[in-house]
Amino acid sequence: MDLKNELQKIVGAGNVLDSPEILEEYSTDNGIYPPGMPTVVVKAGKSEDVAKVINLANKNSTPVIPVSSGVHFQGCTIPYQGGIVLDLSNLNKILEIDPPNRRVRIEPGVTWGQITDELAKENIRVISPLLPHADRSVITDYLEREAPVVPKYEFAEPLMTYEIVWPNGEVFRTGSASVPGYPDSPAKGTNPAGPGLDFYRLPQGAQGTMGVINWANLKLEYLPKINKIFFMPFEDINAAIEPIYKIPRVHIGQEFFLLNHVDLALILAKQWPDDYDRLSDILPSWTLILTISGPPRRPEERIEYEKEALFDLKKQYFQDMPILEALPGVPGGGRELIHMLRKPWPKEEVYWKNRLSGACQSLFFIARPEDAPSFYEKVVDEAPKYGYPLEDLGVYLQPIEQSRVCHLEFNMFYDPDDPIEREKIRIMNRELAQDLLDMGAIFTRPYGDLADMVYEKATSYTTALKRVKKMFDPNNIMNPGRLCF
Amino acid sequence: MGIPQEAYKAMEDIVGSQYITDDQVIAQAYVGRLGHGKDTGIDLEMNVPPAVIVLPRTTKEVQGILKIAHRYKINYVPASSFWISHCAPKRPNSIVLDLKRMNDLEIDEENMCAICGPGVIFSQLQEEAIKRGMYTTTPGGGSQVSVVANHINWGLSPLNYRNGVPGRRVLGGEWVLPDGELLRIGSMSTSDDPFWGEGPGPDLRGLLRGWIGWFGAMGVVTKLAVKLLPFHDEGLKPVGISPHTTLQFPEKKRIRWYNFVMPTRESLVECMYDIGKAEIAAALTKVPQQWRYIAKAGCREDFWEGWNTNEARKSINNIHICRVMLVGYASEEQLEYEERVLMDIMDSYGAKLGRTRQSDNSWIKNADSATMWMMTGAYTSVQVTVDTVDCGVKGGEGLAREKPAFTPPLMDDYGEPGWFQVSEIGHMGYIEFLQYWDPNPNQENLYKKDEWNYIKVPTLDAEWGMFNAFNMYASPMNLTGKAYGPECRKWFEKVKAEFDPDKISNDPIPWDVDEYVDKVDWVNKEDYINRDWSKG
Amino acid sequence: MKDNYDINNYTYDMDRCIGCKGCVWVDHVYMPGVRYGVKCPSNAYKLFDGYAPMGREKIGKALLEGRIDYTPEYLDVMYMCQLCGACDAGCKRNLDLEPLSVLESLRVKAVKDGKGPMPAHKKVAQNIAEKGNRYGAAEKRSGWITKDTKISDKADMVYFPGCSASYVEKGIAQATGKILNKAGINFMTLGDKDTCCGHPVATSGMLDEAKAIARKNIDILKATGATTLVTSCAECYNTWKVIYPKMLSKNFADMGYQVIHLVEVVSKLVNEGKFTFSKPMNIRAAYHDPCRMARQGEPWVEWEGTRGQWGILTPKKEYRRGTFGVYQQPRDILNKIQGLDLVEMPRMKENAFCCGAGGGVMDAYPDFAMWAATERLTEVQSVAAEAVISACPYCKKVFNEASKANNMNIKAYDITEIILACM
Ligand SMILES: Cc1cc2nc3c(=O)[nH]c(=O)nc-3n(C[C@H](O)[C@H](O)[C@H](O)COP(=O)(O)OP(=O)(O)OC[C@H]3O[C@@H](n4cnc5c(N)ncnc54)[C@H](O)[C@@H]3O)c2cc1C
Ligand code: SF4
Ligand code: SF4
Repeated sequence: MDLKNELQKIVGAGNVLDSPEILEEYSTDNGIYPPGMPTVVVKAGKSEDVAKVINLANKNSTPVIPVSSGVHFQGCTIPYQGGIVLDLSNLNKILEIDPPNRRVRIEPGVTWGQITDELAKENIRVISPLLPHADRSVITDYLEREAPVVPKYEFAEPLMTYEIVWPNGEVFRTGSASVPGYPDSPAKGTNPAGPGLDFYRLPQGAQGTMGVINWANLKLEYLPKINKIFFMPFEDINAAIEPIYKIPRVHIGQEFFLLNHVDLALILAKQWPDDYDRLSDILPSWTLILTISGPPRRPEERIEYEKEALFDLKKQYFQDMPILEALPGVPGGGRELIHMLRKPWPKEEVYWKNRLSGACQSLFFIARPEDAPSFYEKVVDEAPKYGYPLEDLGVYLQPIEQSRVCHLEFNMFYDPDDPIEREKIRIMNRELAQDLLDMGAIFTRPYGDLADMVYEKATSYTTALKRVKKMFDPNNIMNPGRLCF
Repeated sequence: MGIPQEAYKAMEDIVGSQYITDDQVIAQAYVGRLGHGKDTGIDLEMNVPPAVIVLPRTTKEVQGILKIAHRYKINYVPASSFWISHCAPKRPNSIVLDLKRMNDLEIDEENMCAICGPGVIFSQLQEEAIKRGMYTTTPGGGSQVSVVANHINWGLSPLNYRNGVPGRRVLGGEWVLPDGELLRIGSMSTSDDPFWGEGPGPDLRGLLRGWIGWFGAMGVVTKLAVKLLPFHDEGLKPVGISPHTTLQFPEKKRIRWYNFVMPTRESLVECMYDIGKAEIAAALTKVPQQWRYIAKAGCREDFWEGWNTNEARKSINNIHICRVMLVGYASEEQLEYEERVLMDIMDSYGAKLGRTRQSDNSWIKNADSATMWMMTGAYTSVQVTVDTVDCGVKGGEGLAREKPAFTPPLMDDYGEPGWFQVSEIGHMGYIEFLQYWDPNPNQENLYKKDEWNYIKVPTLDAEWGMFNAFNMYASPMNLTGKAYGPECRKWFEKVKAEFDPDKISNDPIPWDVDEYVDKVDWVNKEDYINRDWSKG
Repeated sequence: MKDNYDINNYTYDMDRCIGCKGCVWVDHVYMPGVRYGVKCPSNAYKLFDGYAPMGREKIGKALLEGRIDYTPEYLDVMYMCQLCGACDAGCKRNLDLEPLSVLESLRVKAVKDGKGPMPAHKKVAQNIAEKGNRYGAAEKRSGWITKDTKISDKADMVYFPGCSASYVEKGIAQATGKILNKAGINFMTLGDKDTCCGHPVATSGMLDEAKAIARKNIDILKATGATTLVTSCAECYNTWKVIYPKMLSKNFADMGYQVIHLVEVVSKLVNEGKFTFSKPMNIRAAYHDPCRMARQGEPWVEWEGTRGQWGILTPKKEYRRGTFGVYQQPRDILNKIQGLDLVEMPRMKENAFCCGAGGGVMDAYPDFAMWAATERLTEVQSVAAEAVISACPYCKKVFNEASKANNMNIKAYDITEIILACM
């Protein structure tokens, strides 16, 4: 069988690409992992194409690597076993905006850049991760469980329901979108659970190994009009932990997170590199950032009581902690962050994580906030052994679910064009991950080198996962080689 | 009859002779006739006493028992709090694993979760949580329900308004698969700490439960961490003597109930949307009329005196009660702010604030689902849809239109469209449609209540496009399992074939209704088996 | 005449039990946590559901329907139960079924069928029949009476001490006499006609024998002309106030006598300022509600009628839900005593955990009774109390024995002794 020919019949000749340049383009990403060549690239034009492509691939046991975003950092779209790269970036329709039910239904190619502006027109938004790349797919960011930057919701999961093409080519709708006749049904797809099983959980964190999403419903929240931002500076990360636990617990604030001076300077610097140099010098070692916002009704009054509650907490628990409305020495006091946080990183600027050296390796995991200092200590102890300068270490702590837990992220910057530096970072990333894993870091998204070490530890989980994968993908066609598959 | 002596002996060696019995007197206590589904056809005609009851204490013991069951191919049924007829054995010679001894409870205060054995019930956890300024989501189904069993099977409550739908509250834990192998889920997959629910890569909680759970047909969860949520820190004070006991709210304005009488049902629905959008409140629910009459009645006879009146009949379309709970999570000022916003909204609909007791004995720590049987002696819910608020209301109204054809044997509730409430701060609505009937077997056409439960409602739901996946279990798999997904039933079959090929974990769940209706003459199975649902 | 002990009157209650375990768990409003969450001693001791009230109802129903037969385990199930009534109050919080009547009637049926009661109960019944007291003691019943106790020949009030205070816990009867004297209340006793109330016979299910005792005692009381019977024992209290009228299918209100416990007498006077305490007592103590006068303390209300559609009763039934038991009176008294630091245990009032002695358990299953008492004493310890006070001689005795056997160093008192010591 001529794969190319068959694919052309499905998506049209123009959407099947296999020129060496194109294949080359899809063989790498912005990360530390080596390239791998696909056999062919297919650009899906309609969601019906997806099932057909998968069916074909399944019949032929050809690998399929689904790709939605325009940019990748973790190596999970690099085809190491050849096969079809299924590029979904043209499936970029916003299918429905349903403000009364506060949901939006979109295709996987819809990016943060695209959706944010569209929704802002109606004063609504999808809560995003911290300053996402404008070209990242909204759906895949949440499929891959990026942490939302607003931890006040008890349920840190904006993704609700979706239509998925299972690896065997069957089309299936999850949650309440599973009703017959969807979307022309009273059920609109706001309940993620079911039908029967919580299918929506299986493709999450799966790096494209469990199927391909045709569209998804995501939660909408209001876009606050009136806002205040507060900065809480610390020299010692230990001092930040109590406020991290206490503040979201009383249901106050919207965006809330901790950055070290490196990450914050990367975000705030306007003129590169002067601003960065100055800011990374003068910024406090750690800054806890909190926005307080007014909802559509009585916004000022809401801000007022939340502010009062914040200062009550301070009085009660952390009297010595300054709560600033502006960061000293920063032009505008850093207040523009409020607006920055409600949008993706501007497309015209180098992505903040790539500003320092051209590329960034992020090592992140789930942890208890109280353990963050010891994880940090470990990285500080170890990084110099790899010749990595501590003054260039970015740290980001994102509280989740009212600070029950946090996403802890270490950003290591490197020159992507320097193969030796890249390899050094890769080794450091892997070895640090092993150390942190041994200390109890929870790697829910083990990319690249981390997969083996994590699955080796997760003995019973790995066994069960393999059995599940086999049920859904008996020929292991979906992005093979990832995770433990 | 009974299970092989060697199997019994092996289990006895594991748990000790004190904690195992094959006495057929004791077995009668485990014969079903309880909780949800009591007195339905399945309960009356399929449930049988077990051959053996065993009371394990640890995960290891459960593993041992399941391995023995696996070796000897003995059907077993896990039972944590035994509040649903699904958990009574339906196969002769079954083992019941009564999990009440597994009642370890550990509270992780900093990271807001509770690590529970299946023997821990909601009021116990709630007591510990409230002491620490947190709370759990006591289900409407009752404070007496196992926290673990509820989180993996069900988990609905007006408290979901703030606390999220149940699947989100399930964290790490230990799950003994049908063959006795241990699966550690969530953060327990790589550590001993269950504080986080996601495991590495695809999240296997997806297999653990859904809408709703496996009802014991997929092994035994022996330990589970569940989320706790922040509450106010002023506590709730128990007062009164039975039957008038209640939890009094503190003087300080940290928690309050408000009962509004809305002018129309439409305004009731609209105000719910508005309240959600304003991001206020801690619970938001409509009160069905029968419950108002129950609340006023001192006994069943009082209820009927009130209910058998024109006033009650008219109340369905005339009285629309919206019950709102506000919590000042941060402070009294928060509650005052929310109260102002609430009044703005309610004023705009011309709602009237009625007298409201500032105490709770329904949702927070005490939830009495037992009162559901108070009116007629038999009850079940047929519809548990969670989607948008609007969808829930439409579903309830639709079923209310169809119900007269089944009344009697169902109790006449005058067209009451059910109990609806709001979840996840307005992103979802929830409808529960309630049926009551007289279980006296001499009633005429009593089978019709089963026809309504098992066939009619699920068919209507699927036809209308309502998400009543509750019916995945309370209806034939061949009906709802075909319609939803579509064909989600295939995945049940595959999962069962992979993890429990001998079907020893609470067989015939989730196909019990299929098996039951196969034997009765009042269902035309061809109708739904041959139906093509793809066109909606 | 309706037989209140005929199990066929309770098939509805057995059948309609829904398994909510309101009969097992402490009222969820008061639920103290995992520890002390169960109020049914029997199900706390034997964990199978068969030993819980709702399990007993299903088992009883299976027997009635011929699905099982009498076996030794069946009899254990029915008799390893204190008939403490925690289940009954629990069930009536929501559903108004009658689990306690079911349990009592299943025992009566067992006796009628020639299978019950347990051998130890037969011995007690024989003692009562032969010697007029449960112990089979040959001594005179009036041995408790001291010279300085003023007992009238004729009075409106009869003090009925019961077997325990007459023979074993004599201090309680003596204290009662002195307290009544101090209060200036004239009282008499039944003199040489004083005998056992028949409680053990009734609870073991020997209905005919118990009825005979009831009739005899009522006649004796009538003959004195007194209208009020005062007890210092919760079991006697309950027997006269609930069991007699229930056996005789009469309203208590129609029995022609009043029954009060000493604490009711004293608390009334204390609250009116007519009884004061002059001596302090420096202890931290927990009050234990004796089942039979607390949640089971409401008078018997006779009902006869029919059950129609939806289970509706005609006429309406007045339920005894445990709401108006004797709870507050002893607390009012103890709170007035200087130095006495009264604390509540997690399981209290209608949710109190039985001392273990009741329902014939002490006779037939002494290990279980001791276990229950010990369990209760750990609860006393859990609130850092050094003593436990009850208003029933059986509680006091079993608590002291359990404390001693387990080196728990908790002192058990009867409230009469405390009153006496402080007045
Ligand atoms: C009147 C009524 C109203 C209700 N309303 C609500 C409501 O509003 N919200 C709500 O959430 N629920 C509601 N329920 C459902 C009730 O809460 C469920 O029955 C309960 O959550 C499950 O607990 P259970 O006591 O039934 O558990 P069990 O009876 O112990 O078990 C339920 C099922 O799960 C299996 N199981 C039990 N333990 C385990 C375990 N450890 N591992 C694996 N499988 C196990 C059993 O085999 C059984 O099939 C209601 C029920 C009734 C009767
Ligand atoms: S409380 Fe009543 S209905 Fe509930 S289980 Fe006990 S006896 Fe049955
Ligand atoms: S009377 Fe007491 S011991 Fe007996 S079943 Fe009821 S609660 Fe348990």
